[in-house]
Amino acid sequence: MERTDTSCALCGVKLKNPFIAASGTFGFGREFDRLYDISCWGGISVKGLTLKAREGNPPHRIAETASGILNSVGLQNPGIEAFINDELPWLAAKGTAIIANIAGGTEEEYVEIARRLSDASVDIVELNISCPNVKEGGVRFGTSPSSAARIVGAVRKACRQPLMAKLSPNVTDIASIAKAAEEAGADAISLINTLTGMAIDARTRAPVLANVTGGLSGPAVKPVALRMVYETSRAVSVPVVGMGGIMTGEDAAQFMIAGAAAVMVGTANIADPMSGPRIIAEFEKFLADYNIKSLGALVGSLKT
Amino acid sequence: MQEDDGIKKTKPLDVRAAIHRTAWIARDIREITLEFCEDPRALLGEPAKPAEFFSPVSPLPGQFVHIAIPGVFLRRPISIAGHDGRLLRLIVRRAGRGTDMLCSLPAGSELRALLPLGNPFPLDEIKSISDCGGDVWIVSGGIGLAPLLFLSGWAKESGIRLDSFAGFMDREKIFGVSELEACGVCGLSIGGFVTDLITESLKKRKPGLMIACGPAPMLAALQKICGEHRIAAYASFEERMGCGIGACLVCNCGFHENGGFRYRRACIDGPVFSLSEASF
Repeated sequence: MERTDTSCALCGVKLKNPFIAASGTFGFGREFDRLYDISCWGGISVKGLTLKAREGNPPHRIAETASGILNSVGLQNPGIEAFINDELPWLAAKGTAIIANIAGGTEEEYVEIARRLSDASVDIVELNISCPNVKEGGVRFGTSPSSAARIVGAVRKACRQPLMAKLSPNVTDIASIAKAAEEAGADAISLINTLTGMAIDARTRAPVLANVTGGLSGPAVKPVALRMVYETSRAVSVPVVGMGGIMTGEDAAQFMIAGAAAVMVGTANIADPMSGPRIIAEFEKFLADYNIKSLGALVGSLKT
Repeated sequence: MQEDDGIKKTKPLDVRAAIHRTAWIARDIREITLEFCEDPRALLGEPAKPAEFFSPVSPLPGQFVHIAIPGVFLRRPISIAGHDGRLLRLIVRRAGRGTDMLCSLPAGSELRALLPLGNPFPLDEIKSISDCGGDVWIVSGGIGLAPLLFLSGWAKESGIRLDSFAGFMDREKIFGVSELEACGVCGLSIGGFVTDLITESLKKRKPGLMIACGPAPMLAALQKICGEHRIAAYASFEERMGCGIGACLVCNCGFHENGGFRYRRACIDGPVFSLSEASF
């Protein structure tokens, strides 16, 4: 059987396939590269980067839920300079698109991180305005159209690479925020980040997560994510990258049918570190099984 | 750099395994042995050999396996309690939904297992202290004995004497003591604090090294004792885990480092750490 060409372009960046490892679930790729060749991914979105190194939140940082997990890592990362000097040279040589996920406590921090990345071999900058696990910044920038537009606009001016805004699902009208980000200059939209949630140990009456609340991800959030990708892709003309509970190739196809030009796989990497290549192979088999000749024939093809 | 130290280790393999034997050995404590269903070398494109002639992995005492249990979302990290070249031995405490389901699986059930993961106990250091005539003590609390049984088996094979101090909550929870007695003198603490035994014994003898695994309060008490007596100690730590390979950063434990504080990942920087640096 002829293999369908799954290469695609995301805001001008060529991806060998529409699968991107989601930020925060893949580190900087080194750990997974011990298990399999990470160049099988179309792209890798690295662990959220801040201006200075962050130690993150105290443990526990994870709780298992029905069909998913709650996490509250709190953007632990070595900082933008350590990323550029110690991690990027290795990662950039891997032959997969590199997406730098950046997070700031203030608008100035976001702008400064984007500026430091301008000479780095990063293909796309993903603006994380949706992290629910940090006290400052994060999701607070992503919950109203005006604040999202302000931060996107400011970073757009400082950023040499295509800019993708990663949106939070913890809002009433995702489409209006996506539109505001697009109008402010976002070249793509990625969604969804995690849904804020919590877990309680009834015996000790204490929250399971030290941070009390955390972000819910995994199959539990997939219906919400599909709905938001659907609403967003109808509201904007820039490409939408969909994520939220993708565990199989067919899950990925559902996101594309809903309107996603590409997808990110996150929690599946944590639940099963070997799932990346499996999901990509399953997707290719799905295309072959249903005689789908191009990604274009799938994206946004929802029959209503 | 920590990151690099973690990455240089043996490549872990994700293999299909089947439960060979499973039985309760104490209250809520189950011994499960796994056999490997296929030659994972074949997965790596190398020539396959019949699985019964070899084990695809060579785990060391202190390392763990990340087990996918059918119907449970996240894998569960379980310390390896033994490995005879073919069968992998686990000792599991039923403590929640995941371990409950693992303990309820009958012999023959298939699982996926990612192993070996994490750093082993300091085997070279144990060997050299023993060679120089020094004592090495192993200290356990409850299910913390599981990885130490792998260590005691290794010590017996290597001709190294290990004296042990094992704490159990009550008599129904006792397991593994005969194995400890096979490689040295074993002191038991039942329903008390195993560290009280250590304090008593230190009045008579002082070991060159202690190796521990158990609940955090036990490790904290042991850290204090070892600090006061200037005894080097390593312990195996645990924290709720995600990927098991070092990428997701959820299983961090706190440590003192260069006068500051730093998180280290239990899965890949540990689970065995120098006890003196731990921040409880």
